Amino acid sequence: MRRETQNILLVLFGGALLKLALTGTYLRYVKPALQPWLVLTGVVMVLLAVVAIGRDLVTSRTGAAPPAGDHDDHGDHGGHGGSRSPWLLLLPVLAVFLISPPALGADTVSRSADSNTNRSEGAAARFAPLPGGDVVPMTVTDFVTRTAWDDSGSLDGRTVRLVGFVVRQDGVTHVARLVIACCAADASPVKVRLDGAGVDALVVDEWIEVTGEAVPGSATEETGYVPTFRVERVVPTAAPETPYEF
Amino acid sequence: MTITGEIRGPDRPPRGPARRWRITSLEVLCAVLLLALVFQDRLVRLLDVPQLRTASTVFVAVCVQAMPFLVLGTLVSGAIAAFVSPNVLRRLLPGNTALAVPVAGIAGVALPGCECASVPVAKRLMQQGVAPAAALSFLLAAPAVNPIVLVSTAVAFRDAPMMMPARFVGSLLTAVVMGWLWTRFGHAGWIAERALRALPERTGESRWAVFAETARHDLVQAGGFLVLGGVVAAAFGVLVPVSWLETLSGQIVLAVVVMALLAVILALCSEADAFVAVSMTALPLLPRLVFLVVGPAVDVKLIALQAGAFGRSFAARFVPATFVVAVLCAVGSGLVFLGGAA
Repeated sequence: MRRETQNILLVLFGGALLKLALTGTYLRYVKPALQPWLVLTGVVMVLLAVVAIGRDLVTSRTGAAPPAGDHDDHGDHGGHGGSRSPWLLLLPVLAVFLISPPALGADTVSRSADSNTNRSEGAAARFAPLPGGDVVPMTVTDFVTRTAWDDSGSLDGRTVRLVGFVVRQDGVTHVARLVIACCAADASPVKVRLDGAGVDALVVDEWIEVTGEAVPGSATEETGYVPTFRVERVVPTAAPETPYEF
Repeated sequence: MTITGEIRGPDRPPRGPARRWRITSLEVLCAVLLLALVFQDRLVRLLDVPQLRTASTVFVAVCVQAMPFLVLGTLVSGAIAAFVSPNVLRRLLPGNTALAVPVAGIAGVALPGCECASVPVAKRLMQQGVAPAAALSFLLAAPAVNPIVLVSTAVAFRDAPMMMPARFVGSLLTAVVMGWLWTRFGHAGWIAERALRALPERTGESRWAVFAETARHDLVQAGGFLVLGGVVAAAFGVLVPVSWLETLSGQIVLAVVVMALLAVILALCSEADAFVAVSMTALPLLPRLVFLVVGPAVDVKLIALQAGAFGRSFAARFVPATFVVAVLCAVGSGLVFLGGAA
């Protein structure tokens, strides 16, 4: 592959990273903390390419003078000047600019085990009291952890609001979120079984805001720590900017 | 990887007396971009299947997540090429290779990043005259024993505090044993000649120019292989149903083997794998430790990067050996640190 082509690929790839980081699309793929690093990486990639292009232009303009840079390049590339591997750099570029894959959703959940991962096994976790108010907004992760491990009954009689997407597994409707530690490749699902009129009509992968109550004692080992949620109200909602929980 | 194929390629078009327009990679790139733009809708529709959507998201995620580390690695590699003379390195490392191996392994603590960063650095170290055994020991140790990985392991396994030391010892042991094995049985001829060839003396060129050019070159080469690893990891992520892991809970030997293989094909970032391992509660701790020790040493992403940097002949020998050594070291370390809990 020619040097010029390599440099163009670098600019494109760096540009793709910058686009993801600056438009917020990166949240579909990685955790928020990575944003500054993505910007930096994009800038460095573009800079390395631009420096190389600039130096090539200068050497070609000075013409006949034995160009040290050019000569070195051949020395450096000689063994693998014909390498085709850089072509692969085009794949993520096309994926980001043309396809822009969506955040993971119901497909990933139904591919995983039909249970919640039991995050605080054995830990006598102490839970802070829930905030006051009629409706308590909670993350699905918090809700699942509390229903499974909080023995104080802090959720009893409390109305809770959850936001997630709809998943249907074996005819049972769930509201679910994916939890990531680093990037979407390590996503693991948390889900809550929905119980109430009309939940069967919900569309898979649609984002919803559900209000209701936990059925006490529903998150046990037998249910795979998937609590049941008695639904009072379901409202379709827009996908949140940060699709994952952490 | 194909070394000679394309060099001959451009000669094929008939050469007229006048300068003929030749098809180079530049024109091919333009054509590909143009076609992709024209057929964008069709492409998007083609990929609109749940499995393919999931796979493409995982693919982009792996690339995006790993790229900062790869760039860090190539910048360090460029800096070593430009600013650290082979003499300095020789003075830093013990002359005795058997002694240099553990020192290089422990030096891995200083490179905070996942495995993608360590391949270009290890290659550069070899080119600057560091013994291959020591460089390989560094390559295996760096992604697993650096502070960020250890802290994230400790955080993920709050309920099993011995997991962190068990991982540290298992990974360091893997790196050192592989280094010593290479000293005893290794053959420099297995490593592609280009990986060992010292950089040509660059007279009349500033160190910054050397730095920029080395980093750019390493990035282009390694980046392609990283993408290849991402493709494989995404495909396996969709094809391998993780749900049957639970059926393994009773069979410890089978669980160890399966988790070791899973570490290879999932190619998780070493800073995140602990969080995945902690969620596999159906399994005992020992197979999960094997997952954590094997992952940073051998995975599809790393295999692609190593084959690219050191050649296929090297990877074909080094990768299986590392796999076996890593499993054994992990089991040994697990029996010592986790004991009954395993």
